[in-house]
Amino acid sequence: MLKARLIISISIFVTFLVITSAIKNKTRILEKEIKNLNLELLSKEKNINEAQLDFHYLSSPAEIEKKINLIVLKNIIRSYFHIFFLIFQILLDTKTISHN
Amino acid sequence: MKKLKKNSNINQSSFYFEDYLETNKKNKLLKKINNFQDRIYLLFFFFFSLILIFSIKIILISLNDKDVFNFENQKSKFSLLRRDIVDRNGVIISRNINTFHVAVDPKLVKDKTNFLLKLRLNFPDLSINEINKKLKKGKYFRIKTRINQVEKEKFWSLGEKAIKFEPFQARMYTHGNLFSHVIGQVDYDNYGVSGLEKYFDRELRNKDIIDKPIELTLDSNVQFIINKELNNAIKTFKATGAAALLMDVNSGDVVSLISLPNFNINQRKNINELKYINKITKGVYELGSIFKTFTIALALEHKLVDENTIITDIPRKIKCSIHEITDMKEHPNNLSVEQILVRSSNVGSVMLAKKIGIENYKKFIKKTKLTKNPEIELEEVGVPHQINWNRCKLETISFGHGITTTPLQITALYAALINGGKLISPSLIKDKEIKKTNLIISEDTSYKLRNILRKVVSDKNGTASLADKDGYDVGGKTGTAESYGNKKNRINTFISFFPSNKPIYTLFVMLENPKINKDLIYNYRGIKTKAPHNTSGWNSVYVAGKIIEKIGPILAINNKEFIDQHVVEKFN
Repeated sequence: MLKARLIISISIFVTFLVITSAIKNKTRILEKEIKNLNLELLSKEKNINEAQLDFHYLSSPAEIEKKINLIVLKNIIRSYFHIFFLIFQILLDTKTISHN
Repeated sequence: MKKLKKNSNINQSSFYFEDYLETNKKNKLLKKINNFQDRIYLLFFFFFSLILIFSIKIILISLNDKDVFNFENQKSKFSLLRRDIVDRNGVIISRNINTFHVAVDPKLVKDKTNFLLKLRLNFPDLSINEINKKLKKGKYFRIKTRINQVEKEKFWSLGEKAIKFEPFQARMYTHGNLFSHVIGQVDYDNYGVSGLEKYFDRELRNKDIIDKPIELTLDSNVQFIINKELNNAIKTFKATGAAALLMDVNSGDVVSLISLPNFNINQRKNINELKYINKITKGVYELGSIFKTFTIALALEHKLVDENTIITDIPRKIKCSIHEITDMKEHPNNLSVEQILVRSSNVGSVMLAKKIGIENYKKFIKKTKLTKNPEIELEEVGVPHQINWNRCKLETISFGHGITTTPLQITALYAALINGGKLISPSLIKDKEIKKTNLIISEDTSYKLRNILRKVVSDKNGTASLADKDGYDVGGKTGTAESYGNKKNRINTFISFFPSNKPIYTLFVMLENPKINKDLIYNYRGIKTKAPHNTSGWNSVYVAGKIIEKIGPILAINNKEFIDQHVVEKFN
């Protein structure tokens, strides 16, 4: 009788010990995961914060105007070059024709 | 018997002793077992409690999925020191960002020559001599403040243990100069030192609502357009400064507030020059003919005249004490009340003011708080000069001389004259509760005034024809005046509102010391011409017209009435 009680008690003790240890480990793993996720969240929050600022800066009317001016300037230069080369080609052709 | 007793006593004694020993042994064993069981129970209880605690913890974690992240006291929490400031469309105007100061701990410098060489090669703008001197002193010191990410990586790549990065929160203003006079600045400790940053310092630092931005009534796009047009105007008319204010006539919401020259609020500098003041809220000016509107309004309100009443025998000049009041242009001798305002006749206004009387005029100025401090959410406000009601004061005030006020107050008063008489408080904060408004004139007078002011722009004799933009139905009044205290300086203003049949916005435009641009050809009522005079009608009105033409479509986007009338819905 005594032995049986002792064995039951010890087995309960061991079972609980194992369960406790498992739960504790799981909790620690979870806490670590949460900590990592929080760190990730922190860096993402920071990135979003700065990205939003960049977005509002880059999409501000002054910046957009600068970019439009740049595109317009590029187009103008391109079309001027095109005209220049066209005239140059015509002159060259005229020269060839006159030589012939 | 005695003997037996004795014997039996002996036997009894021995039996008792034996029994006692066994019982005692049994009791001891039982006690031992009980103790053992107690310990087991205790351990059982202990482990059970532990399991319970951990189980509760896991359950709590799994249930409160939202609160697991962003613990309030978490060290790594990303927390800003100041709230954002955004415009009415949610565009960020100012926000705090994490940045660094770079410092050096001389004790950790192993090879001083190598360290200085590295710094010189990578950062040629740093004063190496000064750093060398500080290194010799052996005390911790900063070598650069508010560095950006690229600079940080550059310092990092030097691989020096002595270089330390001090985290720091800096306030960034995405639009640079654009809102300099409204937003203001903060100091290195993130305390507001000017503008809205100072006025709302406590609210901006409120930790409980740190994630909620302060929403302004300002519009970045409109602000940009007006700023650009004013900068162009400064170049075109060689003006020394300019200012503009766009306000909702019904709510008092300030949509745009510009004062030029401005400054970049991302750079901390000591700005002491007077030209950098906020001309709209702090500048105190004599605004000239704009005041004629108030004279006409009072005359109509007191039913002394009607808009069509003819004022006969208007002289060329009126003498008051030593002053001579004349008109810039020659007008007919008989003018209707309406034409007095349309043609901006000084003498006609004086004659009307005499009919109104000094007491009525005094009451009006008191009621409108024109000479009191302006009310707005800014620290930088001007104090108008108090009026000394001496001889000729009524006469001069009737056409806007001898009285000073801020452009903010005059725009608010103008809004009241055209919105049905309700005096509103200008505000920079979105959805602010509108205070109980004072009625300064009747709805009927306001209606009459709107019609007259529309004619100032549309009539062939009007002084503001250059602002007559198709579809916007602009009304307004020009003002050309000398600067208070410095007669050489000129202030040309134009205060307009649109659409005049049901006003929504009022726009104040001011140019400081503009000159005639001889190269500028105006399209004046279909005729190509140059500016004959340096008056408001040839510069401020021209600028206002350009502004209205450009901001009109943007303002119409949020205008439900406009959309209902003019925008056709597309059905697929």
